[in-house]
Amino acid sequence: MKYTAKPLPKVELPELRQVGKPLRRVDALGKTTGTTVYSGDFTMPNMLHAKVFRSREPSARIKRLDVSRARALPGVVCVLTAADLPDARLVTDMPGQTGQKRRAGSDAPVLASDVVRFAGEPIALIAAETLAVAEQALDLVEIEYEPLPGVFDPLAALQPGAPVVHEPDNVVARWKIRKGDVKAGFAVADVVVENTFRVPFIDHAYIEPESGVAWMDGQDVINIRVCTQVVEHFRSIARAVGVPHNKIHIQGTLLGGGFGGKEDITVEIFLALLAKHTRRPVRLEYTREESILAHSKRHPFIITHRTGVKRNGRITAAEIKMVSDSGAYLYLSPYVLLYATIAASGPYRVDHLKVDSVSAATNNPFTSAFRGFGAAQAAVAYEQQMDEIAKVLGLDPLEVRCVNYLKTGDRNATGQEIKSAVWLEEAATRALEALGEKTPAPSDAVKIGQGFASYLQSYGRITWFHDTSRAWVGLELDGSVVIRCGVPDLGAGQINSLCQIAAEVLGVGLDDVTIYSTDSALTPLAGTTTATRQLYMSGNAVFHAAGAVRESLLERASKHFEEPPDGLDLAEGRVFVKDDPEQSLPLSELAAMCAAGGLPLANLYLFKAPFTSTLDPEGLQGDVFPDFTFGAHAVEVAVDTETGEITLLKSVGCHDVGRAINPAAVVGQIQGGSAQGLGYALMEEVIVEEGIIRTPSLAEYLIPTAMDLPVTQAIILESGSGVGPFGAKGIGEPSLTPAAPAVANAVADALGVRIPDLPLTPDKVLAALDRAAGREAVGAAACETDDDGSEA
Amino acid sequence: MLPEFNLLTPQTLAEALDMLAESAPDAVPLAGGTNLIVDLRDRRQCPAVLVNVAELAELRGIRQENGHVVMGGGTTIAEMLNDPLIAQHAPVLQDAARIFANPLVRHRATVAGNLVYGSPAANTPPPLLVLDAEVELASQAGVRRVPLDDFLVGVRETACRPAELLTAVRWPTPAQHSAAAFRKVGLRKSDAIAVLNVAVRVTQRADGVCEQTRIALGSVAPRVIRARAAEESLLGQPLTETAIAEAARLAAEATRCISDIRGSADYRRRVTEVLVRRLLTQVAGEVK
Ligand SMILES: Cc1cc2nc3c(=O)[nH]c(=O)nc-3n(C[C@H](O)[C@H](O)[C@H](O)COP(=O)(O)OP(=O)(O)OC[C@H]3O[C@@H](n4cnc5c(N)ncnc54)[C@H](O)[C@@H]3O)c2cc1C
Repeated sequence: MKYTAKPLPKVELPELRQVGKPLRRVDALGKTTGTTVYSGDFTMPNMLHAKVFRSREPSARIKRLDVSRARALPGVVCVLTAADLPDARLVTDMPGQTGQKRRAGSDAPVLASDVVRFAGEPIALIAAETLAVAEQALDLVEIEYEPLPGVFDPLAALQPGAPVVHEPDNVVARWKIRKGDVKAGFAVADVVVENTFRVPFIDHAYIEPESGVAWMDGQDVINIRVCTQVVEHFRSIARAVGVPHNKIHIQGTLLGGGFGGKEDITVEIFLALLAKHTRRPVRLEYTREESILAHSKRHPFIITHRTGVKRNGRITAAEIKMVSDSGAYLYLSPYVLLYATIAASGPYRVDHLKVDSVSAATNNPFTSAFRGFGAAQAAVAYEQQMDEIAKVLGLDPLEVRCVNYLKTGDRNATGQEIKSAVWLEEAATRALEALGEKTPAPSDAVKIGQGFASYLQSYGRITWFHDTSRAWVGLELDGSVVIRCGVPDLGAGQINSLCQIAAEVLGVGLDDVTIYSTDSALTPLAGTTTATRQLYMSGNAVFHAAGAVRESLLERASKHFEEPPDGLDLAEGRVFVKDDPEQSLPLSELAAMCAAGGLPLANLYLFKAPFTSTLDPEGLQGDVFPDFTFGAHAVEVAVDTETGEITLLKSVGCHDVGRAINPAAVVGQIQGGSAQGLGYALMEEVIVEEGIIRTPSLAEYLIPTAMDLPVTQAIILESGSGVGPFGAKGIGEPSLTPAAPAVANAVADALGVRIPDLPLTPDKVLAALDRAAGREAVGAAACETDDDGSEA
Repeated sequence: MLPEFNLLTPQTLAEALDMLAESAPDAVPLAGGTNLIVDLRDRRQCPAVLVNVAELAELRGIRQENGHVVMGGGTTIAEMLNDPLIAQHAPVLQDAARIFANPLVRHRATVAGNLVYGSPAANTPPPLLVLDAEVELASQAGVRRVPLDDFLVGVRETACRPAELLTAVRWPTPAQHSAAAFRKVGLRKSDAIAVLNVAVRVTQRADGVCEQTRIALGSVAPRVIRARAAEESLLGQPLTETAIAEAARLAAEATRCISDIRGSADYRRRVTEVLVRRLLTQVAGEVK
């Protein structure tokens, strides 16, 4: 099949001076030359070193815990157990935002007291004069466990009689979508296709493990310098430590990656407690092995699709069931499940839809946010299902999608109207066209396959969270610009985009802008760097704050030039008359005039996302997200049918990003995000057996290397239709989402048989070929239906 | 953190052997450290003394000697990869070196460390076994030579005694009509612990009849093994498709695989057969 790109609707985007240019990012030089200071680089005089004593048992009663020998070790300054912290809990609800009430009782204790619910659960904190002494003290902690029955499978956890992880039962969250009349929809279907897909636990595997330094200052403020996606955890930290909110100060650093794994609190509470108890600076840094043990994982899901379709591929009804493994503690499981539920039917118009999802507590490692936040897991299922539908109907996978793709003005699974551009076909055909003809197979044993996946992914937070961001933008007297904005930069270019936006609005160069970011006390709160929300939220905040400064500058200049403000413009550090650019002033002179007149040279802007109310849980119909990103990823693979090895040959990502603030950074996101998705498809899995991680280090937990990946070709589309500044949408999470299902579809194309469980290991490839040779249906059942919709 | 140890840096081989003898069994040689340092960090080993042998001139260099290739035990994987003598006489070793770890590790990791560590998944033993390599072991008591096939004993177990150093690996310069091949299966294309390794070498007469065969299999038994029944089945035979298939089947029979996180026993057995077949077919074509 040969594909040609669908022509793009005509969009006129204004040519801008700073925005839309692949400028050298403000964080690039420091990172390239090694001068950027990361969280792990900080030390302080008189500093203590901390270690965390963790459970080895996944489910047990602590019969005896004795830290007296550890306390007595010379050089040990402080050992804390749950006995020292009455009822300190790690409350991980969306910080600073309102909405959903969480289920009581399932928040993790800061330190386990009588029972442990997963292997790796923190039990004691140690601070010592040296790291060596702290490690030695770990060995001196005495503990006796009484093993308790555990539950390690989410389906088993939902059975009656299963060990209960948190009373009253293991149901952590349930969601349901009820849209249209599913029975009627199935009744008019020609064919019903049913499949079950599974995705594993995976680790964020950021290059920078968690670390931080905390100290108390002269006002008894506990300062914590830490790598986090969420400086606004200061409130939860304060609650756990038992101090007022204004006594916790988070000084965030640039991150060496987050991907959702630093969205929950990691080292902060431990550091705060030890700093408070010792009144000395304390440093804590996880090793890679501890990081894998201590932080969240991506939720495994089991997703079943039952889809009714017409012979032309049109979906008449869908029934989708999802089960996720929440692990031992709640964290963000209900929200991840919600995202998955809303994304369950993909970027397709499904008028008759029923989704039932449940998240189950187990004694496995806890699961929480991970780039794609449930919507990525959903895509792995819905995009494989689309290919299976095409196969059953004997149609081309693109054709089946094209008859079902959402269009602007259509309503998604929750009935929310899609208002922005929906360039699904435009993206898919471009990705496929770029993929080109199939590479010839080098031998009979090797089969070549191509596959693609489309997706929709929200950007910006659930609108009933009432999301806000603040930014302060000011002009210095020499014409340079300062931004203050509490945005944490994970490495994706968050701060750079803000600088480029301010430079555009204020008519200066990128080098003229300096940003102060990521500080819970000194920079205006900008919310979390999660949910692909920072460009949308803080980008708009900066855009408007800079806009206000611009307005006041032009007002003053208008008096000077005796021209109306809209007859003036700012560029290259000058204000000038549009019709007569010779008439101009440097910004420094204009700033001086404003200062002399007592006019404001700065603005603090609060940007609000749309505020909605929670939806009726009986059907979840209504608006949930500010907007969505759409796109596609296509890959070509070579599969060795005798060894089961899969080699990626080509990879193309095509996404409508609305407007690329910095196209080079967008390419970086598309390449980096898809690399993570390709790893998800092919090799990444945190193997957990009876609650114990069998992939405890990067020797066992494999992520792709440069040798495993072709260069992903990034195709950027710009509809200008997003709700971000200059019409931008978000690309952080979306870049990952379609990559894994694209690989699964390419492998199925190569083999003629589908492996319904990620990752696609060589072992599974051979097993699937065996089943196919035995003419056994693999996790798939397609059946003709009678007119009444019942299965024949 | 690393446990505490004393690090000794001898200047000569004799000095190193004295240091090892003096503190044995608490002293352990340190070469590239790419196994040892990892083990120290994980507290799998806590030796009191490390004797740094990485700089010893006596352990370095690759040369030809009396119809043999002699490679110092301190040769790094990267050196192996770039050496013209190895390229000429043992390209199969370079095939193994090329997929060994990553460039950083290759520049530190030594062949002695690879052999003495005794991992069944190690990459250099299969090609060295098919080359009929011997190892040279030195101690205060003198030097002994042990065929590699006798040197490898079990999981992390070799014939290397405490206070002994592996000073060299040597093998007969392969005959003209000899060809060898190596293949590793890992779960990714770089920096992967082998799911299995296979090396073969075949010497054929001008009429295509097989005079000598070597088949070595890694990660399919507690140590890297030779598949002798498979080797013998080919002797005096032309390398026909049927003969190769039978040898491959016998090779798979010789395995004693386990299932682990990298692959099932079944997978290993089955793919052993595939790779032996493929590699024999490949070399059969190359020798003619
Ligand atoms: C990231 C990574 C990737 C890896 N990938 C691979 C791979 O793809 N394939 C593979 O085979 N291995 C791999 N390894 C394992 C390791 O690199 C090799 O086994 C390497 O050859 C060990 O050599 P070394 O010089 O570093 O040994 P060291 O770690 O210094 O020593 C290893 C053992 O050998 C002993 N020893 C060292 N030299 C001598 C000597 N001359 N005489 C006697 N005893 C000695 C030491 O006492 C120790 O017990 C990898 C390791 C890492 C960290």
